[in-house]
Amino acid sequence: MRHPGAYSGLLAGGLSGKTGPHSLPLARIKKIMKNSSDEVKMISGEAPIVFSKACELFIEELTKRAWMVTLKAKRRTIHKEDVAFAVINTDIFDFLVNLVTENSSKSEEPQPVMKA
Amino acid sequence: MDHEPPPETPTICCRSNFVFIDRVAMEPMDIVGRTKEDASLPKATMTKIIKEMLPPDVRVARDAQDLIIECCVEFINLISSESNEVCNKEEKRTIAPEHVLKALQDLGFGEYVEEVYAAYEQHKLETVDTVKTGKWSNVAEMTEEQALAEQQRMFAEARARMNGGATVPKQPDPEPQGPQPPQPSLNT
Repeated sequence: MRHPGAYSGLLAGGLSGKTGPHSLPLARIKKIMKNSSDEVKMISGEAPIVFSKACELFIEELTKRAWMVTLKAKRRTIHKEDVAFAVINTDIFDFLVNLVTENSSKSEEPQPVMKA
Repeated sequence: MDHEPPPETPTICCRSNFVFIDRVAMEPMDIVGRTKEDASLPKATMTKIIKEMLPPDVRVARDAQDLIIECCVEFINLISSESNEVCNKEEKRTIAPEHVLKALQDLGFGEYVEEVYAAYEQHKLETVDTVKTGKWSNVAEMTEEQALAEQQRMFAEARARMNGGATVPKQPDPEPQGPQPPQPSLNT
């Protein structure tokens, strides 16, 4: 089949239209952006592209920090707890603390929170 | 200390995978109260991105992958909200890349800004390159007629590609298919 054409690269998502480094789908990013708040306005076509790159950097940072935890524990498989630990120990990931602790509590019996 | 829970909190009892709240069985997902359809990021793509950042012999447990994906979605939510705020403050109606960059800065992700901006600039260059005629860089200077003509031309090209060149598109000038080498004149 012939080359899809100039625009398919954009629509397929990602910074490079080639099938090189994998990138996140722009439509999906846009959907999440719209879900984030009821008041979200119109989103320029280029904003998801910026998000895509920012997400990659975020994933990179989170993954590598989690991996450092795994290394310290002398394991070769990154577990959920490693990710949680990395989040808790990084200031800028504070917004994720609830998410990771909520996740870890799901696997245990929920304790009723009692404030003395 | 009194072990009886205060009256306002519902009694929560965990049996197998269901949580009973006030004796109504609820799936764990319902409790979080997600009303909107939750878009998430494609697992396969995410897995590849994650693995690309690690040495080949390092493995990532599935629950760790899921958690990273959730974190990423939350990251987008956070930056989106902040971008929205930035956009509001500037009294603009559309969230532009500049707003996103400012949001990243404000939320402590300033380290990302340089790389993100570079990637954005690179993308802009790439999109100009990939358009064949490159006329879109002058799009503001095009008149409507020119833009329409350009559109028609591109449609015709697309049609020709689709037809595989088998059927002749509606053109008044019946040109021969394929380039013909110039015929040498025979001087006998």
